[in-house]
Amino acid sequence: MKLELKVVKISNVRFADKTSVENGVLSIDREELIGLLEKDARLEAVEIELANPGEKTRIIRIVDVIEPRAKLGNSGQEYPGALDRLGTVGRGSTCALRGAAVVLSEYRRSQDRGRAATGIIDMWGPGAEIGPFGSTCNIVVMASPAGETTPDEYRIALKIAGLKAAVYLAEAGAGLTPDEVEVYNIPSLVEFASDMRVLPRVTYVFQVLTLQFKPLEGDPVLYGNNIGAIVPTVLHPNEILDGAITAPYSSTFMDTYGIQNHPIVHELYKEHGKSLNFCGVIISNAPNNAPEYERTATVAANLAKWALGADGAVLTKCGGGAPEMVMARTAQRCEQMGIKTTLALLHMGLDTTEISLKASTIFSDMPEVDAMVSMGTPAGSPAVTLEPAERVIGMSDGSERRGAATQARQIRGAMSQIGDSRLIAVRY
Amino acid sequence: MATGKVRVVHYLNQFFGGLGGEEKADIGPQVIEGVTGPGRAIQNALAERGEVIATAVCGDNYIGEKPEEAAAEIIELIRSYRPDVIIAGPAFEAGRFGVACGAVGKAAQEKLGIPAIAGMYRENPGVELYHKDIYIISTGNTVRVMNEAITGMVSLAMKLAAGERPGKPVEDGYFPRGTVVNELADRTGAERVVSMLLQKLGGESFETEVIQPQFYTISPAPKVEDLASAKVALVTDGGLVPAGNPDGLESSDATKYGKYSIEGIESLDPENYEVRHGGYDTVFIRKNPNRLVPVDIMRELEKKKVIGKLHQYYYATTGVATKIENAKWMGQEIARQLKEDGVSAVILTST
Repeated sequence: MKLELKVVKISNVRFADKTSVENGVLSIDREELIGLLEKDARLEAVEIELANPGEKTRIIRIVDVIEPRAKLGNSGQEYPGALDRLGTVGRGSTCALRGAAVVLSEYRRSQDRGRAATGIIDMWGPGAEIGPFGSTCNIVVMASPAGETTPDEYRIALKIAGLKAAVYLAEAGAGLTPDEVEVYNIPSLVEFASDMRVLPRVTYVFQVLTLQFKPLEGDPVLYGNNIGAIVPTVLHPNEILDGAITAPYSSTFMDTYGIQNHPIVHELYKEHGKSLNFCGVIISNAPNNAPEYERTATVAANLAKWALGADGAVLTKCGGGAPEMVMARTAQRCEQMGIKTTLALLHMGLDTTEISLKASTIFSDMPEVDAMVSMGTPAGSPAVTLEPAERVIGMSDGSERRGAATQARQIRGAMSQIGDSRLIAVRY
Repeated sequence: MATGKVRVVHYLNQFFGGLGGEEKADIGPQVIEGVTGPGRAIQNALAERGEVIATAVCGDNYIGEKPEEAAAEIIELIRSYRPDVIIAGPAFEAGRFGVACGAVGKAAQEKLGIPAIAGMYRENPGVELYHKDIYIISTGNTVRVMNEAITGMVSLAMKLAAGERPGKPVEDGYFPRGTVVNELADRTGAERVVSMLLQKLGGESFETEVIQPQFYTISPAPKVEDLASAKVALVTDGGLVPAGNPDGLESSDATKYGKYSIEGIESLDPENYEVRHGGYDTVFIRKNPNRLVPVDIMRELEKKKVIGKLHQYYYATTGVATKIENAKWMGQEIARQLKEDGVSAVILTST
């Protein structure tokens, strides 16, 4: 499967009469984009706001971030299933507006239950320095639920509006000569099995959805539907990079932008054919109870061993405690079958009585699981002191304008479940 | 700190202080001018930078019986020497001495406002008790490593006396003090996890950045022999509290628990309860709190005389990202109260 990602670099975003890209400037016809998004009967009062790096602007109530991407020619469809069209991804060419990001900010009524979106992006100052989205040119999509739209229907509609906006914007870059072309090419397993026998085969076990919370029914996470009821399955890495998967609504420390530019997939691609043979990605959810996570671990490890013939596996998780158990059990099963594993994790809570120099897991007594990377902890210091904002984008009660000491975890993208930060938790 | 030499007071037990062995362990606090015993090695390590002006000595049993009072007595004895820093031990594997070093160091910090440094082997009980209060240098387990231990202790003592921020635990050799800091590594998590796998696949050595904790082994209580006469209590970590959350229970990283009366209640009414818990989907419990704290079923069992009696209070805390030290004291305290109230069996519901 071969994918060419045609990267057009964006350094500024503005409103204009016509949507276009010229010399790194993304111009947007605001009315046309709003009209497109308001076609969805579940939404009303769609608003688009822009934020460029350096402005004293704060974006609040963020539920997802998406890189503008559009498929080129007849090489497939964008977000099949989610955008109501059939099609495939991972092959042909895709245009990406690198440096631009569609940011979804949630409207919320006081009576709406469930977790409120609390992520923020600062476009300047200390807040911009610690997260990746203070230096992208951001197109913020906001909308209210129309009429009788339920909160769940609204959330799906908002996410789909974001995906539509991302495609609409990237189409403006379609005819341009790209600044860079990235090529992602891995043939089928049978072909490379004979081709590159000498290199160790490595898979990535990618947890996408935690079942600690009830999954949003109909959330287009994988080819148009949610994955609360799947057993682990195998995807080609290109499918992940090209829109087969979106971040589950309001995920913790993972967004669609990160999946489109998945750091571990990129890293394995970088080594592919040199020091390893990237033999596919196993995606799974993370069940919330022992019988189910044993089942998930068994299926995932067996796929790695017997379907992909993996010699090594990298594993990550997507939530807190139960997902960490699922990841650890999967790794343990792999090791018991002779597959070497490494794990990368965010520590969701830490025992402060521990006198070891290294941060710890929540699981114990799994000696096979011996190679782990720390990606920091939402519970750790230091806090970042934000400056007062001149402008707030998102549904604000006025308090968000203030500068205040804020935990780094509140900054969208500052912490990553999939390896996109340099953070490491250290004990003092 | 005034210019000139750093003024050091050294703390030792009766043995290292030269007063005698076990037979002198009951001896009370006293002060020796200048150095004694291992203090000579400290003075050597200090060289021109500082001076051990006095050595406080106390019997291990004396301080072990009433650590706070005895430490306070020791502080009063050394106050007039106006120390800039106190160095306690090293105690290596000696448990009572280690605990004493911790108590004296902590008291010196609190009462004299000076930094304290001890030195202990990692299994010394003084480490678990005092590592969050004072800097404890990690030492070997016997006096054979005395010089190495003292070098580490003196070097950190000089930093602290000069008001410098210590380095990382690994750099300065002390036990971490209960703070977790997010630092920046040289590469991203993705780069590090793939490169660690390549090392592992290649049979090279690699170093994990994360360890698995060693949990305490807790033996289950013996079986309840006579359920029909048992007083049974309900305890949950699922965060169920009366509406309005009267005790302000946290929805994660809980530092407290609540104790709530269910006397005369046949079944928990959802109107009267709420859930404080950020780690599971609480919708079902909000609809029917009995599914977390099964008062309705327990009342039936009480009527059918399957159990003797349902205890008149239920206990609740929140088990998500809760620190083990908090979980530990809460568990001990809840168990103590239940025992006092004559409870003989507990149903623990977790989420």
